[in-house]
Amino acid sequence: MLRRYASLAVLPALAGCAAIPHDTTVQAGAMQRVWAIFLAAGAGVYVLVGGLILWAALAYRRRDPAVVQATAFHSNTPLEIAWTIAPIVVVAALFLVTFPAEQHVENLVHPPGEIVQVVGFRWSWRFVYPKEHVVVQGTMQSPPELVLPQNRTTEIRLSSSDVIHSFWVPAFLFKRMAIPGIVNAFDFTPERPGVFPGRCAEYCGTYHAHMSFTVRVLPPGEFVRWARMRSAA
Amino acid sequence: MSAVAAAGAPPRRLVKHGILAWLSTTNHKQIGILYICTTLFFFAIAGFLADVIRLQLAAPQQNIVGAHAYNEAFTLHGTTMIFLFIAPFGFGIANYLIPLQCGAADMAFPRLNAFGYWLFLFGGLTVFSGVFAAGGGASAGWYAYTPLSDIRVSSGVGQDLWFIGLTLTSISGILTAINFLVTPIVFRAPGMTMWRLPVFTWEMIATSLLILMAFPPLTAAFAMALMDRHANAHFFDPTRGGDPVLYQHTFWFFGHPEVYVMILPMFGVITEVIAVFSRKPVFGYTGLVLSGFAIAGLSMGVWAHHMFTTGAVNDPFFSAMSFLIAVPTGIKFFNWIGTMWRGALSFETPMLFAIGFLLNFLIGGITGVMVASPPIDFQANGSYFLVAHFHYTLGGGSMFAIFAALYFWFPKIWGVKLDERWGRFHFWTMFVGFNMTFVPMLFLGMMGMPRRVYTYPAIPGWADLNLVASIGTVLITISVAAFVWNVIVSSRKREALPDDPWGSAYTLEWATSSPPPELNFDALPPIRSKRPAFDLHHPELAHTSPP
Repeated sequence: MLRRYASLAVLPALAGCAAIPHDTTVQAGAMQRVWAIFLAAGAGVYVLVGGLILWAALAYRRRDPAVVQATAFHSNTPLEIAWTIAPIVVVAALFLVTFPAEQHVENLVHPPGEIVQVVGFRWSWRFVYPKEHVVVQGTMQSPPELVLPQNRTTEIRLSSSDVIHSFWVPAFLFKRMAIPGIVNAFDFTPERPGVFPGRCAEYCGTYHAHMSFTVRVLPPGEFVRWARMRSAA
Repeated sequence: MSAVAAAGAPPRRLVKHGILAWLSTTNHKQIGILYICTTLFFFAIAGFLADVIRLQLAAPQQNIVGAHAYNEAFTLHGTTMIFLFIAPFGFGIANYLIPLQCGAADMAFPRLNAFGYWLFLFGGLTVFSGVFAAGGGASAGWYAYTPLSDIRVSSGVGQDLWFIGLTLTSISGILTAINFLVTPIVFRAPGMTMWRLPVFTWEMIATSLLILMAFPPLTAAFAMALMDRHANAHFFDPTRGGDPVLYQHTFWFFGHPEVYVMILPMFGVITEVIAVFSRKPVFGYTGLVLSGFAIAGLSMGVWAHHMFTTGAVNDPFFSAMSFLIAVPTGIKFFNWIGTMWRGALSFETPMLFAIGFLLNFLIGGITGVMVASPPIDFQANGSYFLVAHFHYTLGGGSMFAIFAALYFWFPKIWGVKLDERWGRFHFWTMFVGFNMTFVPMLFLGMMGMPRRVYTYPAIPGWADLNLVASIGTVLITISVAAFVWNVIVSSRKREALPDDPWGSAYTLEWATSSPPPELNFDALPPIRSKRPAFDLHHPELAHTSPP
């Protein structure tokens, strides 16, 4: 019976893995593995602890309504030490999964292959390509498009000109706050061409819901053609 | 023995009644009742706002309430649930119980206690008064990040009233915490040693230490924000050398401990309920007490996990500290299961809510460890995954424990036992409705839906999941209505209750009449173990009580 319950709980973990977008950027690949491991570990803990709770509730339900006290035991030192150490081991293991992925995602590649300055404002975005002399200015009604080269590392330098926003590309599993007065830098290394929606993820006032953009990943040759065309225009 | 004295006598009234008596009371039980009723009133408003939110989001591209009204609604929903319902409900139940559980006649500082309540009430009303101000109520979210909440962007008086009102409730919390800390240390009855205090009282001691450390920084943050708004202070203004990230630090330095101010009292409630309905002593008393302090201590060092995506904090440090909180929380879960193990469990409504709490809070805890990992938080932060996570801790956790507490102590406080059939209906509709509402949000967040949007595009899957969530909210609303109805019908059937209407309760409040007399005890029973009321009512089993 317990095994059937266990297989039921694997389903949400699998569904979770399916809900997480994959294979879009090198960085997303690293984070996707962290998601998968945490979802599996989380499902395991839920089955174990949730199963113990339900088992205890059902197996030890009162059979004699007159009973005032079932039994009086109230401690077991070895057991208590064991269930203090067990979660320490689990979270230590989870930290070992977390740390390298976090470093991989947050450390910048030097020198950057491509640079895009991104500025958030109420309620759209501006993308500036300093090397190519390209500026893409969006409005709430016509959201801008961020064009990135495939298989090259682009460093995004993010800021804001009014309140705090958050630059989120769900398919890249990544967001970062755009904070006035601060330039936040991070890398994207897209692995496949495609169009991916992007949104503001930090509440920024009335029309926060409409502060969207798209990301278009182009093969390197097409990216160069796009940039040349845009700078000429 | 008050049980004998009370039998046959008419049910006793609490203390002096009448409007003036309530307005001028310094009695901890009346102040507790004032808190409980006030916070439930605020809960009803915040629940109504949740219905508005879910109505607006039931289908894509709707415009039922409009962007600005929606933003006011979720700001006031979060503000009310956190500052005016969950945390102060804990203060209310603690106000009622701490002196009773210690064997004291009242709090250490009764007038300070009353002052705290009135500051809280008028603080809450001040926040709400913003709704009627020019430009409407505050709409900068419940954490009111600058520069969004500064005078240039949020120019309305509503935002000022929000800061001022919450500063009042923050001061109220500090004053109340002093009472919760001093009373159990100084005013214990003979025989009630510290290591015999009920786990609930211990959790309130840990909570009070957290309040005293975390609330003053919040007061400072709000004072600075108000000075920025009206005195050109530029603390958080990046164009004048100020720093918006500093506001986040000061806010979350309060904000994360606040999470535990909302949950530690409820850990205490759950501990007492599970032990009573498992008909066993609390398992691992020392571990439960010490883990409460471990959680309190760790929670002071994790605030910046709310700021992983700022790029301005040491992500690995705050990630590791946050993971560690899973250890004392795990200890609590295992001790609760240990308390149930080999017990004789019955499932009266408080126990149903306690088990619902365990299953829901477990999801809150697991998703909490997930979002404490920066690579996961980079997706989850600001998304519906996070909304689901913290609702599993504060809704599925604290709110379920609050209803466990209401059903459990209702007979003690009002001398009325709530109806079991309506109680079961309340529990099951709330449990099913709650999970229908928040499981879809976990998936919506992973799929990329941001929180705090008044509308969303028709992306495949989003509409269905949002509709399921909205239907779940309808069920939750029905369950709360069933609770109100239960209180009404049960109050009509007033009958004299014994000191311990549950039959196996053990903490000291169950050794006095229901409701207790003005000074709590006509005569204190001898206190020779951790279970004075149990020893009194079941002397043949007294030798089995943990010393």
